[in-house]
Amino acid sequence: MTSSLSRGRRYALLLLLLSGFGVVLFRLATLQVLKAAELSVKADRQHQKTVSLEGARGTIVDRHGKILAMNVEVPSVFGVPNTLDRDSPLKTARQLSPILNVKTDELERKLRQDRSFVWLARKLDPEQGHRLDRLSLDGIGVVMEGRRFYPKGPLLAHVLGFSGMDGEGLEGVEHRYESYLRGEKRNMVLQRDALGRTVFPKGMAERNPTPGQSLTLTIDEVIQYIVERELEDAVGRARAKSGTMIVLDPKTGAVLAMAVSPRFDPNVVSALGPDRWRNRTLTDAYEPGSTMKVMMAAAAIEERVVRPNTMVFGEHGHMTVANTVIHDHERLGWMSFSQVIQKSSNIGAAKTGMALGGPRLYRYLQAFGFGQRTEIDLPGEGAGLLRNPRDWGRRSVASISMGQEIGVTPLQMVAAVSAIANGGVLMKPYVVSEIRDADGHILRQVPPQAKRRVISPETARSVTTILEGVITDGTGTKAAIRGFRVAGKTGTAQKIDPRTGTYSASRFVASFTGYVPADNPQLAMIVVIDDPQGDAWGGAVAAPVFSRVGEQVLSYLGVPSNEPVTLALASRQS
Amino acid sequence: MKTFAVFLGLCLVFVFVWERVDVVRIGYQIERLKHDKTALERQRDELRVKVSELSASDRIAKLATGKLGMSLPQQGQIIVVQSRPTDVHPSLIVPVELKVAKNYLPSRRL
Repeated sequence: MTSSLSRGRRYALLLLLLSGFGVVLFRLATLQVLKAAELSVKADRQHQKTVSLEGARGTIVDRHGKILAMNVEVPSVFGVPNTLDRDSPLKTARQLSPILNVKTDELERKLRQDRSFVWLARKLDPEQGHRLDRLSLDGIGVVMEGRRFYPKGPLLAHVLGFSGMDGEGLEGVEHRYESYLRGEKRNMVLQRDALGRTVFPKGMAERNPTPGQSLTLTIDEVIQYIVERELEDAVGRARAKSGTMIVLDPKTGAVLAMAVSPRFDPNVVSALGPDRWRNRTLTDAYEPGSTMKVMMAAAAIEERVVRPNTMVFGEHGHMTVANTVIHDHERLGWMSFSQVIQKSSNIGAAKTGMALGGPRLYRYLQAFGFGQRTEIDLPGEGAGLLRNPRDWGRRSVASISMGQEIGVTPLQMVAAVSAIANGGVLMKPYVVSEIRDADGHILRQVPPQAKRRVISPETARSVTTILEGVITDGTGTKAAIRGFRVAGKTGTAQKIDPRTGTYSASRFVASFTGYVPADNPQLAMIVVIDDPQGDAWGGAVAAPVFSRVGEQVLSYLGVPSNEPVTLALASRQS
Repeated sequence: MKTFAVFLGLCLVFVFVWERVDVVRIGYQIERLKHDKTALERQRDELRVKVSELSASDRIAKLATGKLGMSLPQQGQIIVVQSRPTDVHPSLIVPVELKVAKNYLPSRRL
């Protein structure tokens, strides 16, 4: 009896166990086989987090490695309004307001919205981030985002440009080299535990997104500073509308400095309009006036139309061409061609230009790069205006020879002058010399690029001698630099009066362009002052800027003087 | 034999569990170190920007002229001396002692 009972119990127990196992097996089969795909997706969603990562934007440095633009991770603050109770928004807004520098009302309004996510402040200063770390507020979160910093402030702003809120380059080098500077974007899957902490990145071998490449500019921060300071000073003193200045290495075309006044700070661009961002050195064309006589002279000498000592009659300051009168600023009689340039005679230039003839003048102007982009590696470059000879009027040859009826950008002009400085070869200007990866390895080096030979070295030497005379005996005496031979040319061009459509008698563009030392040029420069008040001559407004910048930059670069200097050295026995 | 098999089985289970726990522990450690690394990199970048701001020519010039009473050298006050003639072979240059007036020495301060 006992054994039968115990057997019955055993069977019951066995049945119970088997039923239990059966239920477990059934459940297991349901979870692991029947619903496997659906549950696997759910589990992944719960335990895995996909984050979108972007490599840091590349750094921009000057030719000595000084940082000009750099990305730093900074905090952005967001709110989750639908997790807050009724009283929290005001309390939280009051705590955040002094840190975020946003009005309490505005923060409260955002936090009362019926939304699950709202930005409260983006890309704060690192100091604000440190203060935020000390707060722990419900419904408030912080994410790190890359913010572009321009530590030198307004320095070089027109060349660097700036990047937008989402890190994309919008102007200048930032825009032109966007594809190099931008970091790689990629998604990464992270494993999370029950508390939401990241446990282990799925596939540890996965590399982090590659940061953007870094750019080394040809710009020298110190030269740029000297140029901007002197240009701002000159524009201020002349009460001018604006000013531009470029310093090139005439042998390579490397841009050492490029400045526009007034300046802007790329760290706070939102307050300013595009008019302030524009890099006028390469976008805005102006009538160059007498500086164009340099190219006319080079063409005429190269074509053997004149020699430096060829005598030209100045018509005592008045000459009629195509029923219009060309004036000189003084009543000049007979003079050598060198004096035509040194005294900046419009009549002498017009006569020489007409002797050269329209087709040859046009050919040389094209060869010097006018009417076409220099192809500098910056966005927004203009081509200037050089009309086809078919469209020229009867006075055009004379006008163009003295710098009217032609539009040039300051960059075109300094590139053309550099061609004379370096012995006759037109170089392509450029601002980026190297591209490096995040580890500092050079990926690409930009070599100087010659575009074409424009004039012979002999002609270049002749023109240089003439241009030295402009400084010693002509209109450009204020461009002189003690101890150095300077070659250059002044320009004072009348502006078109938009009301009358004719040349204004009171509004000018004053300019000076040249190079130094004349016998072995290290610097080619152009200064353009737009609409100066008072004494508006290029020799009075722009030439002194050339001199001041030239003297400081030559000293900074350690270029020895042309003049022998005797130093009196002494020692005293103590 | 049975006892040994059970013991071996338990050991294997223990090793497996221990390994899994250790992997998770190291995972947390890696994550913490990565966090520290990111924070240090961020601090480094902030300092680099700060150094760049502080060494800006504009700021140095303002400090030099405004606080230290310095002024820009006037024309002719800086004389650059060529270190050696370019047309002479370096082997032909004989070094000579150069004596400089004492009050020009950089160590002397006003």
